[in-house]
Amino acid sequence: MFNAEQLKQAVGELDEEKVLAMLREFVATNPSQEEAQQAVAACQSGMAIVGDLFEKEEYFVGDLIFAGELLTNAIEILKPVLGSASSKKIGKIVLGTVAGDLHDIGKNIFKSMAEAAGFEVFDLGIDQPPANFVNKVREVKPEIVGMSGVLTLALEAMKDTVDALKEAGLRDSIKIIIGGNPVTKEACEQIGADAFTTNAAEGVKICQGWVK
Amino acid sequence: MSDVKALAEERTQMLVDVLAGRIPKRVPVCPTITYEYAVEYTGNSLFEAFWHMENFEKISDVICRDFYVDLFPMNYLRFPALYKTLGARNWVQGSNGFMQHPEVVGLLEEEYDEFIESPYDCIMEKVLPRIYTNLNTDPVTRSIVLAKAFKIFNDEFGNIGAVTAKLSAKYGLANVNLFSAAPSAPFDFVADQLRGFRNIMLDIRRIPEKVEAAVKAAAPLMTKMGLPAGPTPPNTAVFIPMHMGPFMRTADFERFYYPTFKEMVENFVKAGLHVLLFVEQDMMRYLDHLNDLPENTIMWFELGDPKLAKEKVGKKHIITGFYPVTMLKTGTVEQCVDKAKEILDILAPGGRYFFNFDKAPLTFDTAKPENLKAVLEYVAQNANY
Repeated sequence: MFNAEQLKQAVGELDEEKVLAMLREFVATNPSQEEAQQAVAACQSGMAIVGDLFEKEEYFVGDLIFAGELLTNAIEILKPVLGSASSKKIGKIVLGTVAGDLHDIGKNIFKSMAEAAGFEVFDLGIDQPPANFVNKVREVKPEIVGMSGVLTLALEAMKDTVDALKEAGLRDSIKIIIGGNPVTKEACEQIGADAFTTNAAEGVKICQGWVK
Repeated sequence: MSDVKALAEERTQMLVDVLAGRIPKRVPVCPTITYEYAVEYTGNSLFEAFWHMENFEKISDVICRDFYVDLFPMNYLRFPALYKTLGARNWVQGSNGFMQHPEVVGLLEEEYDEFIESPYDCIMEKVLPRIYTNLNTDPVTRSIVLAKAFKIFNDEFGNIGAVTAKLSAKYGLANVNLFSAAPSAPFDFVADQLRGFRNIMLDIRRIPEKVEAAVKAAAPLMTKMGLPAGPTPPNTAVFIPMHMGPFMRTADFERFYYPTFKEMVENFVKAGLHVLLFVEQDMMRYLDHLNDLPENTIMWFELGDPKLAKEKVGKKHIITGFYPVTMLKTGTVEQCVDKAKEILDILAPGGRYFFNFDKAPLTFDTAKPENLKAVLEYVAQNANY
C-alpha cells in the first residue's frame, strides 16, 4: 500500500520523479482495484492542490500543463491494476474551441483539470461550428457546455453557439461557461453564457458548484 | 508647404517627442487596426482579399479616411499565399479565413543537441522541412518552393511599404516606423516555433540545461533578424511580441527568458533603433524586469493595472495600450469614450505615452466602427498637453 497523503503532496508539488516512483512501487505490490482507485483519488486531490496554488499565483499556466502531463502518466502506470472499475463521474461537460479559432492549450488544461475533478469531458476539438455543439449536446445530454477561445473574434462565435443551442431548445437544460483570454463580464452577458473565467482552476470550481 | 505636409511634420514631431521622453503637443493616436478588420469594414471577404493584395491600397485608404489616426494603422504579415506556397503548418487559416498560429513542433526533443551545436544548420535541415511541408521534398522542388516563397514575401512587403508611404503622404501621417522588423525573444522562438507551448513547459522542468543552451544558441539569430540590413533609419522601432513570460514562474522567466531578451533589446538600442515590446497578457509581476531595460523602451501593454505600470515603468519608459479593445464590441459610444478618459487620466500625465488599444481589433465583429471612431476622435480632440 502507499501513503495517500505523501502521494497527494508529491502531485501538488509536481515532483514527477517521486510520484512516478511511488506509483511504480505501488503497482509492483499487485494492489486490488479498490486500492488502485484510492491511488487515483490521491492523485486527483494532488491536482486540487495544483489548482489552489495556481489561484494563489504560485503556479502558472506552464505548471498546469506539466500537472496535466504528470496526471496522464500517473494514470498510465496505474492502468494495469485499475481493472474495469471506473470512478464515479460527477457530471458531463461538452467542451470545444469555437468556430474560427484554432487555439486549444487553455481548453486542454481545463479538460485535464475537469477530468481530475471527476467530470466526464466530451472534447469536440478546435474551430467547432455551432452545429457540432448542438449535436453533441443532444447526443450526450451534458449538464455543462464549455466554450473556449483565444482570439477576440471567438466572442461572436460563442454568441452564435449559444443562439444555436437556444434555437435547438437545449439552452435551458444546460449551464454554459466560456473561457479564454478575451472573455469579460460584459461579453459573458452579451453572449448569454452563465459564467466566464480566464482561469482554468476557477472554471472547474464553477462547474463543480453547478453539479452539487 | 502644403497642409498635409505640415500635418505630417506636426504628427512626426509629436511621436518623436514621445519616443525621446519629451512631452508632446498632444497624445499621439496610434491604433493598430488589422487588415482583416479593414477588409470586412469595406465589405470584402477575408478569403478573397488575401489573394488580391493589389487592393491593399484601396482598402487601407478607406480606413485612413474614416478613422482618426496619426500614424498609418495597418500592417499585415501573414499572407496566405506565402504560407500556402510553403505548405506551412505554423500559420493556417481558420474556418473564417483568419490566419493564426496553431501549436507546432519544429524540433524534436532528441534534436536539442544538434540545434545547440549549430542552430542555423539545424533550422535549415530539420526545422523548416518539418514546419513547411513543401520544403520536405526533393532538392529541385524545394528550391523552387523557396524561391517562389521569397518572391511572394518581397512582393507583398514591397507593396505594403509603398502603400504605407503613399497613404501616409496623402493623409499627412507621421513618418515613424514602429514595425521595422519583428524578431521574437529567443525563448519565445524556441517555444513557439521549435518545441511548442506545451513541450517547452515540460522541457524546462525535465531538461532545463538543454533549454537554456538552446535559447542562448537562438539569440544571435533573433538579434540579426531585428537589425536593419543597411544603416539604421531615423525614428524606427523594432517590434518584439513577448509571449511566454506570463505563463511561466518568475524564477523560470529570470533563468530562461530574461537574460538573452535583455541583451537583444540592448543590442537594438546600440544600433540606434527604438524597441517596441508587446507586453502580452498580464505581466505586472515583471514590471521591475521591464523597468531595467534601456531608457525609452516602448511597452505596449495588454492586461494589468495601468496605474501600477505608470508608476513603475512610466518615468523611464514609454507606455501604450491597456485600453480593452473588447469594450469596442460590448460597450456603448459613451462607455467607450469614458474608458478612454479614464485611461488618459492615468497614462497621459508627464508624457511618455501614446494611445493604442490593448490589442488590435481582429475582425469586423470584434469592434463596432462607431465606437472605434468615437474613441479615436475623442483622444485626438481632447488629449492636449
